[in-house]
Amino acid sequence: MMSGEQFSDDMLMRFADGELADEEMAAIEQAMETDDDLVARVALFIETRAQAKASLAPLLAEPVPEKLVAAVEGMIAASRAERETPSSVVPFAAPKPAARASARHWTLPLAASIAAVLGGLAGYWVAGDGGSGPAGLAVAGIVNPSVGDALRNVPAGGEVALAGGGRFRAIASFRDEAENFCREFELDSAGSTTVVAVACDAAGEWRVSFAVSAPGDAGGYAPASSTEALDAYLTAIEAGEPLSSDAEAEALEGLRKAR
Amino acid sequence: MTGKHVEDQLVAFLPNLRRFAVSLCRSRDHADDLVQAACERALASALTFQEGTRFDAWMFRILRNLWIDDGRRRRTAGPQEDIDAHHELAARGSGEAEAETRLTLKSVAAAIDDLSEEQREVLLLVCVEELAYKEAAEVLDVPIGTVMSRLARARRNLAEATGITATPERSAVAKGTG
Repeated sequence: MMSGEQFSDDMLMRFADGELADEEMAAIEQAMETDDDLVARVALFIETRAQAKASLAPLLAEPVPEKLVAAVEGMIAASRAERETPSSVVPFAAPKPAARASARHWTLPLAASIAAVLGGLAGYWVAGDGGSGPAGLAVAGIVNPSVGDALRNVPAGGEVALAGGGRFRAIASFRDEAENFCREFELDSAGSTTVVAVACDAAGEWRVSFAVSAPGDAGGYAPASSTEALDAYLTAIEAGEPLSSDAEAEALEGLRKAR
Repeated sequence: MTGKHVEDQLVAFLPNLRRFAVSLCRSRDHADDLVQAACERALASALTFQEGTRFDAWMFRILRNLWIDDGRRRRTAGPQEDIDAHHELAARGSGEAEAETRLTLKSVAAAIDDLSEEQREVLLLVCVEELAYKEAAEVLDVPIGTVMSRLARARRNLAEATGITATPERSAVAKGTG
């Protein structure tokens, strides 16, 4: 009874695992009716599968430790809460999966540090001239028109001194996934702190969506660690390529006209 | 697309995830940490889950990748943990099961435990968790051919170790006359 030899072991394993096309399944089934050797060869695969499944079934029946269930339920609740109340830190449309996979991993621990930094940043703006207006720069409720003006006027690469001390440096302009006009910039305080930040135009207001403060030297320019955090953030919001100077000038003009 | 899909399925899937984790690390304590880390990662990247694909395969992949990262860290950190809690796969207190059955099953669990990690994980995904070869290949990040060769080796080793011969009852005469 040699007919079974036309079937390789690989094929028989696929048969046992239901991985063959219907015709192939049928051919083997038919051959098995008259070929005991073939039956034995197939049985090895069927049997090992059944035994493996049976032997690990009790592990599935073991109760999951309460501590673990509680921890996971807690994370799920937090995740739901975050989804249902859109965060002001990442107010943009969901990025595509590929970017998300790496960026998201990053942004979780990052979110906490951003929150902490925003507190410090508020202090920074309070220490500025403290004026307020409906179209100012809103950070946690703090408004400083001079930064807002700089955001509307200074092209990428440009730098101005701010009323009340400190310097503003425009780094780049881009559009986020929702096509909002955004600007990456740095602020040097009168002391020695450099803030790396991203602000996006939201209906005439600047919304600061990212800010990290870094101790800078007197010459300004943020150290690499803070720009790494910024890169992770930009990836997470799927920031577009930096705008060309023409496109930027056009966008800035549009903003000024809209006021 | 939202993360809702993942949130809704995660708790119900914990027993399977934990089983996979226990068979990977062969330590329950370790497995629970791993499961928790995998859930955290899954929720954080819930948006990468494509509806219509298998949630279990997606979760197994996350957990396994964490386990591998973990292994790298352990290796670079030098030997520090004894995770060789041997024969952890054998069930704890399997109750009123017939003594003979329990004995047999235990030996199968022990044999699975003795497989190489490569063979064990593929056996688990295909034979125990019932993933298709293609899905297992995605979880393990290897070609389907590799899944099949590892799986075949795993089964041969398992059969050998446990005495599964699966020889059908037949006589020499029957064989001879065919």
